[in-house]
Amino acid sequence: MSIGEYFDFVLTRTEAMYNIVQNEGHGSFAIVFIIGIIFGGIIQYTRVDKFEKIAGFAMLKDTTIPKMLFLAIGITSIGLFFEIKMGYAAYHIKPMILSGLIVGGILFGISMAILGKCPGTGPVSIAEGRIDVLVGAIGGIFGGYVFTKYYDTIFKPLMGTNFGKESLANVSGAFAPYFVLIFGVALIVIAIKIPHMELLDEADLSLLDADERPDANSSEEIELIK
Amino acid sequence: MRRRLSWWMGGILMSLLLLYTFASFGAGRPLGASTYVPYYAGILFAMNPEHYTYLQEIEKPGAWEGVMLLGSLVGGFITSVFITKSFRFSIMPTGWKVYKNSSVISRLIWSFVAGFFLIIGARLAGGCTSGHFLSGMSQTAFSSMIFGGVVLVSLIITGKLFYKSGDSK
Repeated sequence: MSIGEYFDFVLTRTEAMYNIVQNEGHGSFAIVFIIGIIFGGIIQYTRVDKFEKIAGFAMLKDTTIPKMLFLAIGITSIGLFFEIKMGYAAYHIKPMILSGLIVGGILFGISMAILGKCPGTGPVSIAEGRIDVLVGAIGGIFGGYVFTKYYDTIFKPLMGTNFGKESLANVSGAFAPYFVLIFGVALIVIAIKIPHMELLDEADLSLLDADERPDANSSEEIELIK
Repeated sequence: MRRRLSWWMGGILMSLLLLYTFASFGAGRPLGASTYVPYYAGILFAMNPEHYTYLQEIEKPGAWEGVMLLGSLVGGFITSVFITKSFRFSIMPTGWKVYKNSSVISRLIWSFVAGFFLIIGARLAGGCTSGHFLSGMSQTAFSSMIFGGVVLVSLIITGKLFYKSGDSK
């Protein structure tokens, strides 16, 4: 493939990406793009894209991520249940492909602790100038290439049996409202109860005003690194 | 303007965004963020979708997340330049220097390898932190709870074994 043909291919595929999103019925191109902007904005504004937040959680020195994650899941699970009841949304459950979930989960957890990013927070870190994450993303593109190339021969067989798309809301039948409510409230309580620990680096703290600095608040467990 | 959002504010905003994404007047689907990687790999490596089953399977979710990713790059850039003022080119996270080592080469090699397996893992499991944790567990999906448990355990074991967080500092 010549350079010209390569650029033609990339352009055609990019155009196809735009057309698929525009015509698929899951929000227009503009809506999806804005969802992305807000998603990136929230991640950046809460600083959970930082290495110290994800790797720090792996070292059990920072609990911002689980607190925020569990709170978001708790609220959404209850809200989504009502949203569906009112006819504004539907469940889209992922299948229980057991060995895929376990092998994939182990690989994902190890890599997330080492890179200090996940696929959602990675791009946001790149957007704030982190070169090491860009190198990680290039590794990810190669990972995506290998997965796509050997999907039929290696990865699909490795994923194993599909045990169906089940959920708590599904199996609890008539009791679903109570189970979902208990699930949601329990997660919100866990989010609040997890002790708040933070691992902060001086470079970020120095940007904050005196009253914004969390290390000035003695009720939280703060570890400063330089 | 405050330069830092608290975890609970972030959690509430994130759940509003999820509820909007799920809603029929929003996107009518869950929010995910790892299918875009093989989708972009297919474009960059000039892989013809006709020859790869996986590219055919992810044609629609990949495109959706591909667009969302472009948005999150823009969103992260705007916030880091104008609100948190944290935009700066850097190659070594402070935490890596303190708890691992100060070699740039070591950080870059580990970044590349971890990035590689991060995506293989996410695609094997059919989702990542966004698709399984945020969207999946909000739907009380069992698949996402299994994934969540496995990731939590392997994340913390790796944190214990990989970083020298106990003795140094």
